[in-house]
Amino acid sequence: MSQHRAPTTRAAAVVAASALLLTVSACSTPGVAADTPGVTDDTVTIGSHQPLTGPAAAGYSSISAATSAYFDYVNDNGGINGRSIEYLVKDDGYNPATTQTVVRELVQEDEVFAILNGLGTPTHTSVLDYLNQNGVPDLFVASGSTSWNQPEEYPMTFALNADYVVEGAALARYAADEHPDAVVCLLGQDDDFGAEFIEGAETVLGADGLAAVERYSVSNQDVTAQIGAMKAAGCEINLLATVNGFTALAVGTAAKLGWFPQWISSSSGGDYPTLVGFLGEDLAPQLLQGFTSTNYLPFGPDDEWSKLFREINDEYNAGAPFDGNTVYGMSVGYLFAEALAKAGESPTRESLLAAISSGELEGNGILPLAFGEDEHAAYTGVGITTVDQGVQDFIGVTYALEGESVEEVEAKPVPLAGDGIPKP
Amino acid sequence: MDRLLYLLATGLARGAVFALFALSLVLIWRAARIVNFAQGAMAVVATYVAFAVTGLTGSYWLGLGSALLAGAAIGFAVERGVMRFAPQGSPFSGVIIAIGLVMVLQSALGILFGQQHRPMAVPFDERPIMIAGVPVFSPYDLFVLVVAVAVMAALALLFTRTSLGLQLRASAFAPEVSRLLGVRVSRMLTIGWMLSAAVASLAALLLVPTELGLNPHSTDMLFVYAFTVAVVGGLDSPPGALIGGLVVGLVISLVTGYLGSTVAPIAVLVLLVVVLLVRPGGIFAAREARTA
Repeated sequence: MSQHRAPTTRAAAVVAASALLLTVSACSTPGVAADTPGVTDDTVTIGSHQPLTGPAAAGYSSISAATSAYFDYVNDNGGINGRSIEYLVKDDGYNPATTQTVVRELVQEDEVFAILNGLGTPTHTSVLDYLNQNGVPDLFVASGSTSWNQPEEYPMTFALNADYVVEGAALARYAADEHPDAVVCLLGQDDDFGAEFIEGAETVLGADGLAAVERYSVSNQDVTAQIGAMKAAGCEINLLATVNGFTALAVGTAAKLGWFPQWISSSSGGDYPTLVGFLGEDLAPQLLQGFTSTNYLPFGPDDEWSKLFREINDEYNAGAPFDGNTVYGMSVGYLFAEALAKAGESPTRESLLAAISSGELEGNGILPLAFGEDEHAAYTGVGITTVDQGVQDFIGVTYALEGESVEEVEAKPVPLAGDGIPKP
Repeated sequence: MDRLLYLLATGLARGAVFALFALSLVLIWRAARIVNFAQGAMAVVATYVAFAVTGLTGSYWLGLGSALLAGAAIGFAVERGVMRFAPQGSPFSGVIIAIGLVMVLQSALGILFGQQHRPMAVPFDERPIMIAGVPVFSPYDLFVLVVAVAVMAALALLFTRTSLGLQLRASAFAPEVSRLLGVRVSRMLTIGWMLSAAVASLAALLLVPTELGLNPHSTDMLFVYAFTVAVVGGLDSPPGALIGGLVVGLVISLVTGYLGSTVAPIAVLVLLVVVLLVRPGGIFAAREARTA
């Protein structure tokens, strides 16, 4: 029965679909180049792949929620050039195979304008070629890998994070400047993150400048062997290329051994509120006193951006815990909104990329954005932060990549303007 | 030498937890001839119960007791509510159902309590005692070892010296005959599940405070390592689980210490492959695979 009816149904569906298609294209034509995917008269649709479930969700699922909250805030205040931003976040569970599926869905079915802030080195690497071959803008990837800054090979892809090499070099430089005679060691993740961070640190300290280099694997939540080896090596300063959970594990394991060295951590694993979540309210302020890390985004208790983001978080994100991920997620949203505002009244993928490459974007970081024709890195420097009495803030020391080496520079924080909604 | 001692001590304490969890897999295998892939997720649910009870009452010991009870209750619910309806005949149906159960339980925990890691405290000093200048076991490590050994001894007594143990073994090995002799086989099966889930919950509760903290995925790696342990030791053999657990714990610690952490999971897999090649039933397999 159903088999007999099928052709008619299918024909009807085809007719309906074509009618719908005609209506849609008819609606969207005025004012906008008809062939720009994801852009209509009053909306811009973009997408992202994020670990919303699975083991990596613990550390990162709050980022896209913060970005969405920021876009809701912008949309409630009139959007960008009269268009509201629709942010489609798809869960990839931090599994590269799933990333490939969901990104294809976003591009082919949802027809997004751009991919924003796709999270993770292994996950995003799996769609890098696809996005570039299909001419989809691939903006502000959430990872510190150096892969995203290859304008020749991947013209569609732009980075956001200060990369791991820069961070490793800046932190090693800071360690050498502050404690010239100390024994410096390093604990790093056994992937690109650790390898690039070690590379950065060794460019400053020399190939034999690190007294001990230990690696950990995320599949084993026990770093007793590594910490024991570092203690035995007489380390005084430990550089960390660790994610937040393993930073907490390293600090906690050392404390159990009665060992309290100076910790200097990558920004990927140096967010104080997140570390408190792992170590507990009672222990964290003691264990993390003097804990040093980096940041390149607005931050600190008195910062005006942080205050605005806090308000947006309370109103549009149901008052979720406010931490480094929240600031990061909202800064991503701000940067995209700024790029979109500068892409013109009728944005196209070309005008969006041109706006970013123009070097006119300011962002909201503590250093000018590095974007340009030949530069797809966002931040090439970082500010040093420390924890004092349970408060993490900048200490006024900033390093940036100058040519081949890392030098101390003056921070130039971008002031808050226009209620945090970029104007064209 | 100092380093060797340090690594051995570290490996032993973790190995004891692997052994305990592997034992729970062995218990279910012996009772129901099923490798319960949901064991880790069930244990983590019980650990959440313990976390809540400890948080409300302030007592670690009430939390520990409630984890055991919750574990047994979950074992009961899973056997009576889900596994009993698995189609007989294919060993895969139970496995697939268990994997589905993992997804349901972990997602439910994520929805209810979020994905963040929650620190769990223990009422013991976690600083290691120094012996000849080398940090070895902390009081908590010793507690874990003592509990693991005590539970294994208690289970051995239960199975070899009590009427219940005899009925459990009988209904696992010869259900038809046992039923004819008046043993309530289906009740024995349920008890097997309850015992096993309670032991798994205990292992999870002991391990979680030493790692990142409680999260819906806290037992994922514990399950993987314990499964390896159970296969290495022989799925049928409780002593195999004990020895296998300690061996795997030591291998991970020594390989991490001397060769690097990246190699450690590979070393465990190599161990697994070697054992399966040399003794397919596991080191302590008593005889050719029993089918009953």
